[in-house]
Amino acid sequence: MNAPIPPQNPPLLSVIDLKMHFPVRGGVLKKTKGTIYALDGISFTVREGETLGIVGESGCGKTTAGRTILRLYPPTSGSVIFEGKDLARIPKKILRETRRRMQMIFQDPFESLDARQTVYEILEEPFLIHGMGNPTERKEKIHQLLDTVGLQKSAASLFPHEFSGGQRQRIGIARAIALNPRLIVCDEPVSALDVSIQSQILNLLIELQRERGLSYLFISHNLAVVKYMSESIIVMYLGKIVEHAPAELIYQNPVHPYTQALISAIPVPDPTRKRRRALLSGDLPSPRNPPAGCRFHTRCPLVLDQCRREEPLLRCHEGDPDRRVACHRSTEGIKIW
Amino acid sequence: MKIDPATLKKIKRFQSIKRGYYSLIAISLFIVLSLFAELFINSRALLVRYDGRYYFPTYGEMIPGRVFGFDYDYETNYRELQKRFREAPSDDWALMPLVPYNPYENDLRQDDYPPFPPSFTEKHFLGTDTIGRDILSRLLYGFRTAILFSLALLFATYGVGISLGCLMGYLGGRFDLVFQRVIEIWTNVPVLYVIIIISSILVPNAMILLLIMAFFGWTSITWIMRTATYKEKTREYVLALKALGASDARIIFKHILPNTLSIIVTFAPFALSSGIVALTSLDYLGFGLPAPTPSWGELLQQGWSNMDAWWIASAVISAMILTLLTVTFVGEAVREAFDPKLFTTYE
Ligand SMILES: Nc1ncnc2c1ncn2[C@@H]1O[C@H](COP(=O)(O)OP(=O)(O)O)[C@@H](O)[C@H]1O
Ligand SMILES: [Mg+2]
Repeated sequence: MNAPIPPQNPPLLSVIDLKMHFPVRGGVLKKTKGTIYALDGISFTVREGETLGIVGESGCGKTTAGRTILRLYPPTSGSVIFEGKDLARIPKKILRETRRRMQMIFQDPFESLDARQTVYEILEEPFLIHGMGNPTERKEKIHQLLDTVGLQKSAASLFPHEFSGGQRQRIGIARAIALNPRLIVCDEPVSALDVSIQSQILNLLIELQRERGLSYLFISHNLAVVKYMSESIIVMYLGKIVEHAPAELIYQNPVHPYTQALISAIPVPDPTRKRRRALLSGDLPSPRNPPAGCRFHTRCPLVLDQCRREEPLLRCHEGDPDRRVACHRSTEGIKIW
Repeated sequence: MKIDPATLKKIKRFQSIKRGYYSLIAISLFIVLSLFAELFINSRALLVRYDGRYYFPTYGEMIPGRVFGFDYDYETNYRELQKRFREAPSDDWALMPLVPYNPYENDLRQDDYPPFPPSFTEKHFLGTDTIGRDILSRLLYGFRTAILFSLALLFATYGVGISLGCLMGYLGGRFDLVFQRVIEIWTNVPVLYVIIIISSILVPNAMILLLIMAFFGWTSITWIMRTATYKEKTREYVLALKALGASDARIIFKHILPNTLSIIVTFAPFALSSGIVALTSLDYLGFGLPAPTPSWGELLQQGWSNMDAWWIASAVISAMILTLLTVTFVGEAVREAFDPKLFTTYE
């Protein structure tokens, strides 16, 4: 199902050198005492109807990336071009209107729903916010939405806590698609769910994409899930992109040692195959104090002196415009396993 | 509108805490009763039949004595009227309230000096104070003053606290920072002293007293509200609403406020009882409401300086204890039923 998207699909979203630094404040006067470099310059493009996956360890800045792109956080620098317009430069009123076409699905479906509201009220909210429809039209719409995400009409009068995790995520999805968005940022949409339910939700997302021509920015720490969903994949490490490649290639021929380590850590279902060693040692360094040079050098088995001093740029790999890698040794073709 | 299950659960739980639930019923009953105090304790008759006509003197204009055949133009003395009707049998009669004294009149006698001890024949069920006013009457009207005053104070401080606290928590940043410091300074002002100083300069009426107390009383609820809003604001559903394009006003009024309300409600009974205590202490010291407003503090003061007239002190102290205990029971039960710690997880 991950057929390569023809390159002629026009770009829907372009992220250019986007940074989000959180100040660390302290003391009585809340002076800035430090900075968390949660997102430190990422660039990529999402085409119409495409799914771009973002993968990386917890704490590498994936959630921050998704939220900053949707302008839920005010970016420190860089731009987000959506539908050809820079979100930072459009007036607030137009931004609010634009939000109809870019939505979000959250990791914790319960936390992201107002527990005091019934499902009906939750799903009516998008229409009320944008002043759309009269009560009968809205009711019709809400029942359609419930049907689309595989919930019964009777669910409308219930409260979120009366559902299972998977059903709650369906409510979250229904809300996200209510206003017919073109882009949905899915931030770990199945990570909080039972493994048995995960594929149902993933398949629902794929089905919705096929029916509606949606673009997804699909975020997860789970590489297998990201690969299942995406045409191309971005691997993030400490607020930066280390590798960007089509989904298949990332599996077959990962270039960056961090990507290789991530893939080696995926459990192999076939017991006759030799299990790869887990290659990642040590913890993720703090984004408050990222290592100098290559951010991965503290954990990299291929580290050179140059890596400690000089930050590698994200460059095309072997002339392929679809592949980008940020590693000083990427041309050497070394596999760390 | 469907009440959400979490709230419903809280209400059910409150009802299951019997002591608090019955206390709430009792205190509500008392309040309602005190609002209609004129029907139970009053010098005006409830109903008079005179010359084939019926009169309802309780509410409305005063009726001069001449109307009922007395030779004076000031307000009819209905106790006298009733006595007159009884002594000379006729079709006329007057129905007096349970206690036929209002809280302001001095029931003076030729042969004796007040305070008079409790007497059923005189219908001074709890006796009179040192200038002959009926104690039961002053107790009930004093309760009304105290509770209305405390409720008004509650509304004033909650009004300021909820709006300011909500803004502080929601906006954050410099606004929050400035008011945090203001509150810290404010809470260190000794309120009672300030009121005493102001009262010694000008004679406060209820409105001025209310304003002064509200002026210094808004900080704690503001702080509570700020914290609650701050917590609520960082929850993901708020982010989801922002992603949908909801305005700040919508997020605050439709989502954050209803979600923080249960926290604020928990503090209301305690605020109410502290209001009563504050007013009583001020009245006791003579810096509160101006005389002759019926007030518990003033009665307490009389009781304290006239220990021989044991009925004064014992009546007001019992009333105080009863009221504060009831309100505290309600507060404890609300707190137990609404405890947010028990409701952070739903499964
Ligand atoms: N609102 C915030 N304020 C301060 N620091 C934050 C905030 N959000 C995230 N961070 C920090 O930024 C880093 C990246 O977090 P996050 O984007 O949640 O990572 P991920 O989603 O990949 O687990 C973490 O170190 C986190 O502590
Ligand atoms: Mg995350």
